[in-house]
Amino acid sequence: MKLLSKAAVVLLLSAAVCAPAYADPGTKVALVPGGPHPYFAAWEQAGADAMKDFNLGAGDYRVPSKWELSAQSQLLESLLTQGYNSFLIFPGDAVGTTSVVQEIVDNGGQAIAAAGCLKDPNPALFCLGTDTGNSAYLGTKELIKAMGGKGKIAHFTGFLVDPNTQLRIDAVQRAADETNGAVTVVQVIADIDAPQPAEEKINAYLAASAANVDGIVTTAWVPAVVAANSLRKMGDKRIKMVGIDHDEVVIKAIADGFVTGTMLQNPYGQAYIGSYVLDKVRAGCTIKADAPWKSNALTSKFIDSGTVFVDATTAPNYVTAMVDISKDLKASMDKDFLSCP
Amino acid sequence: MSQSLTDGDPALKPAVVPGRSSGGLRLLLSNEFGLAVLIALTFTTFALTLSGFTSPFSLFTIGRQIGIDTMIGFAMMAVIVTGGLDLSVGAIGVCCAMIFGWLVQVLGLPIFGAIPVTVLFGAGLGFINGYTVVKSGVHSFIITLASMSIFFGVMIFLTKANAFNGLPPEVQVFGKMKLFKTISPLLLISLAVCAALAVFYKVTTLGRQMLATGANPRAAQMSGIRTGAIVVACHMLTGGLAALAGLLVTARTGASVPSMAGHLGQDWLLPAFLAPVLGGTLLSGGRVSVIGTLLGAVFVNVMTSGLLLMRVGEFWILASLGIMLLVAVLADRARQQFLTTKGMI
Repeated sequence: MKLLSKAAVVLLLSAAVCAPAYADPGTKVALVPGGPHPYFAAWEQAGADAMKDFNLGAGDYRVPSKWELSAQSQLLESLLTQGYNSFLIFPGDAVGTTSVVQEIVDNGGQAIAAAGCLKDPNPALFCLGTDTGNSAYLGTKELIKAMGGKGKIAHFTGFLVDPNTQLRIDAVQRAADETNGAVTVVQVIADIDAPQPAEEKINAYLAASAANVDGIVTTAWVPAVVAANSLRKMGDKRIKMVGIDHDEVVIKAIADGFVTGTMLQNPYGQAYIGSYVLDKVRAGCTIKADAPWKSNALTSKFIDSGTVFVDATTAPNYVTAMVDISKDLKASMDKDFLSCP
Repeated sequence: MSQSLTDGDPALKPAVVPGRSSGGLRLLLSNEFGLAVLIALTFTTFALTLSGFTSPFSLFTIGRQIGIDTMIGFAMMAVIVTGGLDLSVGAIGVCCAMIFGWLVQVLGLPIFGAIPVTVLFGAGLGFINGYTVVKSGVHSFIITLASMSIFFGVMIFLTKANAFNGLPPEVQVFGKMKLFKTISPLLLISLAVCAALAVFYKVTTLGRQMLATGANPRAAQMSGIRTGAIVVACHMLTGGLAALAGLLVTARTGASVPSMAGHLGQDWLLPAFLAPVLGGTLLSGGRVSVIGTLLGAVFVNVMTSGLLLMRVGEFWILASLGIMLLVAVLADRARQQFLTTKGMI
């Protein structure tokens, strides 16, 4: 079932955003996340599809062996030595990755920061990712709606060394503050975007305090999966939860009524369309000076790769929702951001 | 090449036993010689078989990483000398890098004024570790496990995980500088520290007392050595060297970054142990190999770079490093047994 749904995502997204082949086999794209994480699983297929659809020299997904800034930097340096000239990079650190991206550019390469941004000033073409603060804010608003506009919220989120985490914490707090005290954030548990700490801390918290919580918002992949599983095990449908991303566990928990909904992101679209843009730019296209950039806390050259809320009614067709945001993204790239001779 | 209690000082040497064999064989059986041969073999193999391995950019990046890993290895080596450990090496390194960023970017201190303050700050954090170890009598593993979380947690609390990325451009220029198109100055700094440490352990009284304390604390104490103070001094040296490692990483990234050594600074633990242990420093203390630590870092980075270029799969690199560590420990044990059997130690 998992395999079938993954295949469906890939086929539909490919068909939706497929463009005429662009013949520059000299473009060798490397798609490099910060480390192993399920969020990036879609990048591998997206790179392979982009290689085929746009006739790239390579569209290789290369994962650093561990979530470590120096491991990612060493891998990027090695890929540059191997002849890759275009990079789609999730920065291991918003500041720390800048120097290796600068080295890529200094050696004739180009890079897009994907799924996470580099802090300005930086040499990447732009940042293509989810507006994390906005996603957390919208997700919390949906949760508050499901809670009937009042109650206590627990927030489970990612690593503290990731500056996005603070943005998410602030966004959840902002949504709660807008209720004039009707909703309060009673607990923030951070640093848990990995199975072991997430299992340990979320289960311990719910075991001790489930009765004092009316809603859960999660703003990182692993906490969303663990919290959804915990609510299922507890058989608790009183506590409302809004998760993030499209892990099968979360989607199924939505269908079964244990989770209210999830904020989808667009990892496949980021990798596929990012590879497309890298090829275009390498072939002579330029980024329009008057492109409609968004900005976030890190950069003023930000493109939102899209986020959408799905609930029990829309979850069964979440692939369609992802296709739609990818279609819009591709159209926006061609129309608003690229200027080709 | 390596220093132990009985090297250098005739008074501390055991009586000569007839039949004990030559220094030549000892040299051939030493960790350092074995590592040098391995490095030569692997480097030559990769150079002949992998395109790009000897390109100036590749050599530059390998050398730069060797400089950083060597310094991290020295930091751990300085406390292993006494048979202790310091799990907070990474946390100290990051705290020092952040202090440097704060001194330079916020207080406007000149770079060359901020460097000694940063190193002293690292030594201060090392003092906290050493003093606590000595006063509590608890093994340094436990103390530094706790201080790792404390140092890192306080740093994250104070900085809110924000980097200092407004450092003077000279910092990044230095990190990217290429001497003769291939040599990183970060490597040269580590070589200079290597020479200084080799002299320190070979020649100075404090260095010899550190080795004596590690070899047999009770005997050292009975000889009049204040072993408690020596343990504290070792931790301070570790802190200072970790600070230098933090500064090297800051030069490489051009910024002071809280995540430069990962969560709680744990990313530094593998290179911190790998280089000294490969190089022949005894985990039980009393013997240190400064050159061996350098060679250990060289070997690890040559292997890592070659394996990355071979595209064997990034996850195999981790496995390879683990296997290397295991083989090094077993080989050292076999060497010890052989030398004992032959009456050479």
